[in-house]
Amino acid sequence: MASMDSISRNLMLDSLREYAKRRIPFDLIRELDEKNECPTGILREMYDKDSLGVHLLMIPEEYGGVSGGTFDIYRICELLARIDLGIATGVFATFLGTDPLNQGGTAEQKEKWLKRIASENLLVAYGATEPDAGSDLVNMRTRAEHVVKNGKIAGYRITGNKQWISNGGIADMHTILAMAPGGPSWFIVETKIEGFSANKHEDKHGIRLSNTAGLSLDNVYVPAENLIGLEEGKGLLQAQAVFGYTRVMVAAFGLGCGLEALEHAIRYSQQRIQGGGPLSEKQGYTHKLIVPNYVRLEGARAFIEYTSLRLDSGEHGLQTEGAIAKYGASEWGNKAADDAIQALGGYGFTKDFPVEKIKRDVKITCIYEGTSEVLEMTIYRGRWQEHLKSRGRYYLDMADQLDLLHAKEPKVGAHASALGLRALAAILEECRVHKLTRHQHVTFTLGRLICAAETAWNFSIAAAAQKYSETIRFDREGWQAMARIFAREAALNTAAQGLALVLGAADAAGNLADAVNMEAIQTEQKGMIADMDLVALKLKQTFKAK
Amino acid sequence: MNIVVCVKQVPDSTEVKINPETGHLIRAGVPSIINPYDHFALQTALELKKKHANFKVTVVAMGPPQAKSVVQMGMALGADEGVLLSDMAFAGSDTWATSYALAKAVKKIGKTDLIFCGMQAIDGDTAQTGPGVAQQLGMPQITFCEKVDVDGRRIIAHKLIDGGYEVVEARPPVLLTMIMHKDYVPRYPSFLAINASLKKPFHTWSASDIGAEAQFLGLKGSPTQVDRIYPPAQREKAAMFSGSGQEGMAKILQIMKAEHFLED
Repeated sequence: MASMDSISRNLMLDSLREYAKRRIPFDLIRELDEKNECPTGILREMYDKDSLGVHLLMIPEEYGGVSGGTFDIYRICELLARIDLGIATGVFATFLGTDPLNQGGTAEQKEKWLKRIASENLLVAYGATEPDAGSDLVNMRTRAEHVVKNGKIAGYRITGNKQWISNGGIADMHTILAMAPGGPSWFIVETKIEGFSANKHEDKHGIRLSNTAGLSLDNVYVPAENLIGLEEGKGLLQAQAVFGYTRVMVAAFGLGCGLEALEHAIRYSQQRIQGGGPLSEKQGYTHKLIVPNYVRLEGARAFIEYTSLRLDSGEHGLQTEGAIAKYGASEWGNKAADDAIQALGGYGFTKDFPVEKIKRDVKITCIYEGTSEVLEMTIYRGRWQEHLKSRGRYYLDMADQLDLLHAKEPKVGAHASALGLRALAAILEECRVHKLTRHQHVTFTLGRLICAAETAWNFSIAAAAQKYSETIRFDREGWQAMARIFAREAALNTAAQGLALVLGAADAAGNLADAVNMEAIQTEQKGMIADMDLVALKLKQTFKAK
Repeated sequence: MNIVVCVKQVPDSTEVKINPETGHLIRAGVPSIINPYDHFALQTALELKKKHANFKVTVVAMGPPQAKSVVQMGMALGADEGVLLSDMAFAGSDTWATSYALAKAVKKIGKTDLIFCGMQAIDGDTAQTGPGVAQQLGMPQITFCEKVDVDGRRIIAHKLIDGGYEVVEARPPVLLTMIMHKDYVPRYPSFLAINASLKKPFHTWSASDIGAEAQFLGLKGSPTQVDRIYPPAQREKAAMFSGSGQEGMAKILQIMKAEHFLED
């Protein structure tokens, strides 16, 4: 679906922000977190179409929704994560649970179920994961057996267990993945049905406001019309088809949590006087704990938006892009929240300040909807194919594009980003020549390097745009400095870590040290501290002490 | 009854600071909101619409294209129609020139029985635009209202005065400026209502659309000009110390001695 107009989107964000301000204050969140309690009443209120109706974003207008696009959903997800990632997960679960219907449902199924979700404010859960099948759904054990009447398939009997299901204990309906005789298939299962039960709410490290429960299906009968798409064996394809944008949503969670934690630290640092001045004036503080984290997350934001806009323009799949968006935003969001605790010192370590909870919450973004390690593999796999197909030109072409950009816009880090991509191309080629991808460690590390190098590429392009996205809260001077910092760091890491990787795996690495052009990348580091000073100042101006 | 509500988009004043060197507002990253007094005025008008089936509410704002946001919000909350006055010719208008443009827009909208305005905008704090519109239209006005009821053709307004309220009765047409009720909770529209508001009639009018003459608009049409904006002089920064109560007391004594408030 195409994204909606900016004004409508921002009005929705305002409504959500104001609702949270009024109904979900931090004291309540802290209490619920302590008690490990899901605020079902609040979730139901958020779903109430006359009050807020946040779940309507995923439902097309013709079924009573508001037809949100990926960009709209990303923005709402970022804000939800800033409010509380547990509550955000409760909303996300409905988005995810609705997905199999949106993707594979017949017109009649959509008419019936999407309309009901919209008008009856139904909480939905997405039941895919099992005790022995997480990222690897092929090992799924839940079975759906035919129930035949008068020689026709009248329905299915489903038996099996699901684990770690968000909204599992509170949802009104579930989309359940089960192995039918024709292969993996999605089924719509309503909660109040014989043989269906939810286990206890898990006691988790974070997102404690999100209900997470196992599901038990004991010979649960569903009519044949509840088989999504009315065709067996399409389940995995239907699940994979949406990874591009479901991962964008979790990327937005990592982004929202990381930025929220950092913005707390930035405001705090202007009031905390140590050694004769505020912490916000000290490079030892800002250039270690604040600036690099903020810059990485702005890079992640630009990549999330790039992926969202491509999906909204009608492109399908984009699994590698979705994986890059999620891997970068969740890993950098996690690191940012960790550093935000450090930035608040002893206060950060207490439950009186939100950063401690954010740090516990954000960790899940590195785990659910594809662990970071699965994503490293996904990113590597997608781009390795591109490298081979293009005979090593894939990243060289992108570097050429950046060199042209650098000639027109010398302040966006395009030259450094290009150097990083050329180093990456050289490392990939060396891995091919020496067959180094037989080592799993090499492939996963390549996934990590690719994520940073492509994010740098996109950040430079975004920072050169005539008009910035509505989300950018900085002026051109500030945002371009961020793009330069990101590009330098990515280029240096790509070259140094890629070189170390190849040297560690190969018997000989030829002239790779020359090929990655470390000398030029080192020269490109000039101006780093001045840029970090500038970004520290912009952050202080934008997030003033309260 | 036809009601017009005038609303303004303003920077969220809790986030705005002034650059002490240039005197300019630091707007970077500051979100825009509907002026809170206008929000209350809008809600008051919409409450009347709820009670009276035949009431029509039109929301009017003047500003750059992005100010459409406050008009659309008004429609999402229940107004029937929206108008944005947007034209470079309006830029730089003071309260009098703005009143002129809004009055022209009201005339174009047609027969209007009630005009609601917020008492003042939180960015300029002048409280002049509402009364200015009434003056331009030759319409009676009741300022500083907290509550408004309509009974047939009688308008009953509770106007805040020193030490209490004055209950004022009027016949339409009349312009009311609204203060905020102390228990007032601002309403925000649901996602569905925001989406539905896109289907309501919305117009962007230029100066020529409303028949406004250039000489009465913008800087040229503004009898007042802002000379400069500056923050009040800041007092010296307080020094902050941390530590136990005893350490704090010792520090205070040390400072008092150093400043000669106490003798050694």
